Amino acid sequence: MLDVLLKRFRAGDRLALARLLSLVSRGRQVDDILRALGPSRRPSRVVAVTGSGGVGKSTLIGKLIEVIRGGGQTVAVLACDPQSPLSGGALLGDRFRMPARPDDGVYIRSLAAAAGRGAVADHLGLMVQLLEAFGFDVVLIETAGAGQGDTSVRELADVVVLLLQPQTGDDLQWEKAGLLEVADLVVIHKADLPGAENVEAQVRATLELSAARAVPVLRASAKDGRGIDELWAAVRACPPRRPPAAERGLGLLRSAQECLAFAFDRARAADDPRLKELLTSYEKGILTPRQAADQLLRLLATTAP
Amino acid sequence: MSASPPTLRVVLAKVGLDGHDRGIKVVARALRDAGMEVIYAGLWLTPEAVVRTVADEDADWVGLSLLSGAHMTLVPRVLHLLRQAGLEEVGVLVGGIIPEKDIPKLLDMGVARVFGPGTPLEAIVSFLQQRSSAGHA
Repeated sequence: MLDVLLKRFRAGDRLALARLLSLVSRGRQVDDILRALGPSRRPSRVVAVTGSGGVGKSTLIGKLIEVIRGGGQTVAVLACDPQSPLSGGALLGDRFRMPARPDDGVYIRSLAAAAGRGAVADHLGLMVQLLEAFGFDVVLIETAGAGQGDTSVRELADVVVLLLQPQTGDDLQWEKAGLLEVADLVVIHKADLPGAENVEAQVRATLELSAARAVPVLRASAKDGRGIDELWAAVRACPPRRPPAAERGLGLLRSAQECLAFAFDRARAADDPRLKELLTSYEKGILTPRQAADQLLRLLATTAP
Repeated sequence: MSASPPTLRVVLAKVGLDGHDRGIKVVARALRDAGMEVIYAGLWLTPEAVVRTVADEDADWVGLSLLSGAHMTLVPRVLHLLRQAGLEEVGVLVGGIIPEKDIPKLLDMGVARVFGPGTPLEAIVSFLQQRSSAGHA
């Protein structure tokens, strides 16, 4: 079954690509697919676009798609929106703001991102690999609306573009650790609105304090089109980032966290009696949170995949 | 393999020159709250754009909303393109303002169900859940 799918995928069948992405997003046959893919022969430029909800990520990506296609490159987009913690459902409304005209050089996939996973969908790394292997020159990752601490997209992308907008926060916001630290490029979006220069000046002043690396700050507006070409030129000019020693192994840790979350969901869905017992002891306070967590780890490790 | 069935993916779209999007947004919300992944594809889409969206999103269902009166032109076009793209197993729902007399024709063409004004949201949710667990999509 998977063999046939992979064969069609290698022959350039978009439906096979779509189905493989579904399998991966659901955490199914991930190891088999990973093994079959092997190392990427033609690595794409992987660019993450992040920022809070409503800052204009989808709309700006829509404009970037036009610029990238205008330059003759193909592009795939992995667009994440939040998954409901209550129902498990999601309203995926990113592609609505991107070009709708069918173009074989453009692939847009909407993904649900569970809460607490850094505003990106699970198994995103493997999805990027699939799109690379399919031959897309550029892969854009759109995070769900990201909070100050949602930095995990950094492990997946060559370049992280952070979108900010006028009229948000005072200058202390830009001193905080987190999202601004991991940006390779900062865009003051909606630059047609008043106050953009002010935010730009504040962000520049903050970034200039850290001499470690120069982070370009640009102004752009998807509405009137200003700064979009310049933004793409700046993305292309970004030097490839080498993970510093402090980040070594973080990618592996994240994969392990994904595996754990998946095993937990599966055990819960299967009404595993050992899990039920553990949850009851935990809820009654018989086990401390730390003890319960240790037991949970051991339990999930022995759950057959 | 897994105890829980995979989450249903549903594309909702409006085709043609019709900007009435209140109904489709209410349906989107109901399906979201029922645990489905709803891909909201938006307004003024061509049938070609809808089918490309269904393909790339690996959707199980597509819901078309039409209040313009153009359903007897646009729906057959979507059905034709779905078949042409090898997506005949994707279920098609139609909603909006559809005259009684056109409903049997649409069902004959391959539409799974037509939901008119006043349809309880639970009816749409349970239809999708039942048809999907019965092996469709």
